[in-house]
This record gives sequence, C-alpha cells and structure tokens, in this order.
Amino acid sequence: MKEKFFERKSVQSVTASIVSILIGLIIGAVVITIVGLSDSSLGIDSVKEGVSLIFAGLFSTGRNAAGTLTWGFNGQNFGNMLFRATPLIMTGLSVAFAYKTGLFNIGAPGQYLMGTMTSLMIALSLPSDRISPVIIWIIAFICAMLAGAVWGAIPGFFKAVLNTNEVIACIMTNWIAANLVTWLFDISNLKNEVESTKMGYIYKTTYNGVATAKLGLDKIFMGSQINAGIIVAILFAIAINIVINRTTFGYELRACGSNRQASEYAGLKSKRNIVFSMAIAGALSAAGAALYNLAGNTEFFWSTYQSLPAIGFNGIPVALLASTNPIGCIFSAIFMSMLDIAGLQLTNLTAYNEYISSVIVAVIVYLSAFSLVIRNMVVKVVNRKKEGGKK
Amino acid sequence: MENSQDYVIEMLHITKEFPGIIANDDITLQLRRGEIHALLGENGAGKSTLMSVLFGLYQPEKGQILYNGKEVKINDPNDATALGIGMVHQHFKLVDVFTVLDNIILGAETVKHGFIQKAEARKKVEELSEKYGLHVDLDAKVEDITVGMQQRVEILKMLYRDNEILIFDEPTAVLTPQEIEELMTTMKGFAAEGKSILFISHKLNEILEVSDRVTVLRKGKYIGTINTAETNAQELSNMMVGRPVQLEVVKDEAKPTDVVLKTEHLTCPSHIHKNKKAVKDVSFELHKGEILCIAGIDGNGQTELVRAISGLDRKGVTGKIIINGEDVSGAPVDVHSKNMSHIPEDRHRHGLILDFTLENNMVLQRFKEPQFQTRGFINQKAVREYSDRLIEEYDVRSGQGSITIARSMSGGNQQKAILAREIDRDKEVILAVQPTRGLDVGAIESVHSRLVAERDKGKGVLLISLELDEVLSLSDRILVIYEGEIVADVKASEITAQELGLYMSGAKRMERKEA
Repeated sequence: MKEKFFERKSVQSVTASIVSILIGLIIGAVVITIVGLSDSSLGIDSVKEGVSLIFAGLFSTGRNAAGTLTWGFNGQNFGNMLFRATPLIMTGLSVAFAYKTGLFNIGAPGQYLMGTMTSLMIALSLPSDRISPVIIWIIAFICAMLAGAVWGAIPGFFKAVLNTNEVIACIMTNWIAANLVTWLFDISNLKNEVESTKMGYIYKTTYNGVATAKLGLDKIFMGSQINAGIIVAILFAIAINIVINRTTFGYELRACGSNRQASEYAGLKSKRNIVFSMAIAGALSAAGAALYNLAGNTEFFWSTYQSLPAIGFNGIPVALLASTNPIGCIFSAIFMSMLDIAGLQLTNLTAYNEYISSVIVAVIVYLSAFSLVIRNMVVKVVNRKKEGGKK
Repeated sequence: MENSQDYVIEMLHITKEFPGIIANDDITLQLRRGEIHALLGENGAGKSTLMSVLFGLYQPEKGQILYNGKEVKINDPNDATALGIGMVHQHFKLVDVFTVLDNIILGAETVKHGFIQKAEARKKVEELSEKYGLHVDLDAKVEDITVGMQQRVEILKMLYRDNEILIFDEPTAVLTPQEIEELMTTMKGFAAEGKSILFISHKLNEILEVSDRVTVLRKGKYIGTINTAETNAQELSNMMVGRPVQLEVVKDEAKPTDVVLKTEHLTCPSHIHKNKKAVKDVSFELHKGEILCIAGIDGNGQTELVRAISGLDRKGVTGKIIINGEDVSGAPVDVHSKNMSHIPEDRHRHGLILDFTLENNMVLQRFKEPQFQTRGFINQKAVREYSDRLIEEYDVRSGQGSITIARSMSGGNQQKAILAREIDRDKEVILAVQPTRGLDVGAIESVHSRLVAERDKGKGVLLISLELDEVLSLSDRILVIYEGEIVADVKASEITAQELGLYMSGAKRMERKEA
C-alpha cells in the first residue's frame, strides 16, 4: 500500500509549517496596510512597497534614481541571511535534538553564552604568533562545545538523578551562565579587545588574527558577512539527522525519550542517556556561539548580565517550525534570518521600521506552537478531498 | 418476526473504514430492552469501533442507527448521552486528583446561580450506591482507590446520568475474581430493572454466565447473533476465531531438569508503603522444562517480586537471585536479561515504545547486536527482515506491517509482538507476567501453546497470573503468594480451584520445607 503524497507525515509537517509562515506573512502585510493607511505620512504607495518588501525583501536592491524600488539578486542580502542563519541553525538543532529524545531544552541561551565566553577567551588568549590561527580556531571551537556540553549536562544530570524538571533547571542554569560569564569577563584581562574607550566588554577575534575561513563564499555573496560557518552548520544538521535516525546511539536516546520505563525494562541506561542528550544539545548551542563569534567580522558586546542571548531562545521557534526535524532546522533558520533581512530592508528603504518583521516572527512562532493543530487541519482537508474524490 | 418496538437500539448495516482497513463491514446489532447483549470478538474484530460509532466518537460511512425504531444521528458523545447511552470504557475516564463524587457529577453538575449543588448530588449518588450495592467512598480521591472501585465510580457515573443503555467495554479485564462476581450480579440487577446492557468481552465463561444473547464479530464482519442459552463455549469460540479452537491447554507431563532460576530469602520493600515489606523471605527454584506459576490475588507482592527478579528494583532488595547459575543479586537489568526473557505485565508502559514503529520495538533489547548494526549504524535492512520474520512467524497483525506505529495496533497484537520479541531472544528463563491479560481466546490459545512449546524445548517458564483458569491449566507447579509470602507449593494436577482459592485468600497455608 503506497501512501499518497499528502498522506505522508513529512509532507503534512512541511505543509503545516508553510501554512504557519503564510499566515504570519499575511498578518504582517495586514499590519503594514493598517499602519500605512492610518498614518498620513505613508499612504497607499508606501503600503504597496512595504508589503512587497515583506514578501520579497531578500531580492530588493534599493531604489533607482526615479525613487522606485528595484529588484534582483542581492548578494549582500543573501550572504547576510546565511550568516545570520548559522548560529540559529545550531541552536535550533540543539532544541530539536533534545526534543527528539523527549527533553525540552530551554537552556540554549545559557549554553550559547558558555560557548561564547569559551570561544572568545581561547581565541584571544592563545598567542597567534606561535600557534597557527587555524589551530586556535579549532581549539576554541572544540572547547566551546565542551563548555556547552557541560552546561547542558547539568540540568540533564539533575533530571536523571533527582527527576527534577529539566525546564526549571535550564532556566536556572541560563541565569547562572549570565552571571558567571559577566564575572569571568570581569576578572579576565581580556577586556575591550577592540577599543578601550567603549563601555562594557567588547571582543573581536580578528584582534588575534582568528577568523572563520571564507572559502570564496564572499566572492559569490559580495559585500556580505558570510563565511564557511554556514557549511559547518549544515554539516552538523546532516550529522545530527544521521545520528538520531540511523545509529544505535540515536535509537537508544529516542527510546529513552519516548518511554523511559520501557527502555529500563529493555535494560537501557535511561539516566545516562538523559545526561548524554542534554550534553549534546548543549554542545550544539555552544557550537553555534563559536561559529558566530569566531567569524571574524563580529564584535561581541557584553554590557550586562541581565539579558540572555536571543539567538538561544530563537532556537525554539526554529526547531518547532521545522517540526523538530534536523534538516528542517536549516530551512527554518534561514527563513527566520530572511525575515530579519526583510525587516532591515523595510527600515532602510521605507518609513516603516524593522519591528514589523518582529511582528511576523512573533505570529509565526505563535503558530508554530500550534503546528500540531495546523497539521491536523491539513490532514482533515486532505481526507475531505479524498472522500470527495470517491463520491 | 419481532416487532421493531422491542428494540431500544438498532445499528443496521454499519460500515466504518480506516485507512487500510475496514473496521466494521456491514454490521447489524439489535439491542432489546432489558437484555444483556454480549458483543464477542477477537482483538481487532471491530467491537470497540462499533461501540465508538454508537457513542458518537466515529461517524460510519454507511448504515443507520435506530433509537426506539426511529432513525437518529449521533454526532458526538453528547448526542449519545441525550439518548441515555452511557459507557464504561476499558481504560477508565476519570480525573485522578478529583474525589469520587466530583468525578461522578463532572459534566452533569446540578447548578444553582452558578454554584454547584454538591449536597443534592451527594444525596442522589448515595441513594444510587445504596440501591445497587455499589459502595464507594465519595470523598476519596480516585488515585487512591482500587481499580475495582474506580469501575464502580464509572458505573455510578452512568446511573447518575439516568442512562438506560449501558455499554461495558471489557469490564472484567482489570478485576479480581471476586470483583467480577459482584459486577455480574450488578449487571443482572440492571437488566431486571429494564435497563439494556451491551457487554463487550472475549471471556466466554462470563458471556455464558451473564448474557441473554450474543453477537459475534470476526475481522470486522458480522458472523451472527444467537441466544446464549442455546450455545456453549466451544461453539462461540469457533464462531469468533473462525476455526475450531483448543480451549484447554494441551501439554504433556513436565520433565523438569536442572534449576535455572533460584531465589534465596528474597525480600523486597513495598512500592506503596516504603517501610513495609511486600515480598518476605521468598525462596524457590524454577527448573528447566517446567512452567512454574506464582498465583495470588493482585497486590500480594507479585509486582515487587517481578521487579526484583528482572533487576528493575535493586534498592532495599535483600536475598539472592541466581539466573542460570549466575548470581545476579544487585546487578542491573541487562545482567538479568542476559539469560532471561521478560514479558511485562503492562505492555503500554513497559513492553513497548508506543510511538516507535513495530520493527524498532522488535529489536528493543537487541539493536546493539552485531547482526543489527555495523559500527554504531543501525542496519535497517536487517531490522526490517528480522521484524518481518517475527510478524510472519507469530502472526502479528497490523495495518502496515513492520512500519506500523505500535500505538495504532490492537492490544492482542501488541502482546503478540512482545511475545515474539521475547521468545525469539531464546533465553533460558521466560518470565511471563499476566501474558494473556486482555487477550481473546484465539490469542490466548497461541500464547499458551507458545509457552508450552518453550517449556518442552527445555526453558524454564515463570508465570505470574491472576486468573485461576490459566493458573490451573497452564502451569505444572504452583506457588501461591499471600501477603508477600509463599503459602503453598503444589503440583497443578493435585489441586482444585476451591483449594487454590483458599490459599490465595489466606484462609489456608502449607508448611513448606525450605527450598
């Protein structure tokens, strides 16, 4: 019995995500229209421009001499989109991986911070005149992953041993990370590695000659921040997909996540596996942080311990929008970054501001939480069509 | 011909399809006023689907439902309730943290000015429970009362709603023999009062005892309706399974040889009261080539004993467990399972990962074996082949074969899958805990004959069962457990059901020589 195209679960998941996205975009367009029509300085032409930028901001190339919007391939937009997507893919993978093994990793921001701190400190303190920057990059990346793994393993450990809720423990470790990172930056002698006059702590790894290889991607996407990090992130997504679905290790983690008791009956070490799952999730988040901060064209600006990195939290909508499929995370992260780019275009080219794109992201995040409901709606439509076809 | 006015509910030519399967194929069921009508069929025969149609949970593709001779449309359970149809589901639908009274009135609260009139409700429930002898503590929380009492709560729920048509979906599956007896009496009382009862079951003796008529389904098809008085267990089971069924276990005299499992002074703490002992100083020996049954009323330490023997509980467990000559006391599960298969009592919680495919469930303990993996990568093809073979060999039926999600399979087939997996692991000891719970005669027959075959191959089978019939017919030797102690050690051929009952209820005990 072969399943029809729309009866496949994967197709239904993707359809549900696309429906969420479309509803989000349409609501964004509606907001733009309302704002545009109610503000005398904007008007119907601005509305048209705003809506088109929301849907196709990625392909915007600015305005011509006549003042109308021009369209086409914009390498800078594309490159920046992929660059911004890189850490999001990793935090999305982190959440998705934990979710596949029955855990909710809301600790990605904390793990991301630990990765940030570790990668920066190593990249800036190892002497690049004696050690090749490539080696420093690799050491910094690996150590960041280890730090993230430790940070992820802590809530996992408490869940395994004391059966505490991993969500609560993750929230606590997030704030512990925020304070710990502030404190460690504070006592380190690596303060303000860019300009000593700036407030807060600012770091830039190129100060020590460390930067992610570009592999010629900057030639394709001229003027953008892109580097090989996106390739690393995609390879991670593929690897995680394989680990979860094709290996005995992934099987064991999924089994313990789906039914801990049955797994224990089968002699699997469920406690150990919970710790492993969370450690891997933590390592993935931290790897995202390393990819971002080691890029070479980013500054890490740390002024307060009272905020947690949004990229960490955004891993949750990335994973949900992808129905926690690792490969899907690549696309959902790229899509979320695309909205960012569209928002920037909106700010640069029209009187609207970028927060419109935040509205759209918010709607999509909200709907992605309902992805199951939407999926059921899709299933219903499919079934009705099928029955209709029979009669 | 009977006048259609005699029927309170008629389901005519009902057809209900699911993807890949016709669950009900042109089924007709007519329920008379004041009768107990049994609906008999194997697991997956379509009984539950038919009842879900009647209860408004599913809409049939074809067919009609008549209520007192008039066609009605039942779109959801509210419509069913409005027609006076009530149902006790196989898995109770109760709110664990609510009191009994709250559960009974939930959804049918008497409200005055927005306030629940609990006193009125309490009076009505008390009257009902008095009238029908359904005694429950109205202020106890549901999570604290026994399964038998929970069922009484479900029955009271129907009575509270003044339901006239009562559906019981496999009500006896979870009850002790005494509770079953009480339930039968209650049901007869309802019928005498003019209420109509649909009784879903696959336990033939219960159907013969309590019902007036029986409708038999098989693989989604209607086989026939007959008067209970004019039939017998053999005929019913043949109708149900579609071939002559062996109701008695056929086996030769056991030829026990070496000891393969041994416990010495095993003592386990209770799961409910941490300070108490649930298993007290239990010593026994299981030999190769015998089926040893631990019989007893539920809650006399069986659960704790099983968890200790399988290695799941280690904390507070004292004494020795020796499996196949190896002392495994205090060792983790995988050391125990090295030489022991385990068919767990609760197949949903412990036996299967319901969200996994059937094939992934089939290799739950074995996926790390070389045949199923190469350097950590699962050999999907080998898993599929293995699973296909087990499905074939053990007749596990499912919608899509190996890739079926375990959750979507019927209970009997889930059990067959577990049995296939455990027996095929080919271990010296088979620990079978209530292996036929909730199964129909056809499936029971196959489980029993499998276990006997394994015994004859020289395996030691340790059977934990609550069902007297099974204990007596399947086992070679019986140990009776009462309040955590072994109170009898007898050959199955040398004891009667009555005597066994006395041991199980603690009225009698045997002085044992130390094992």
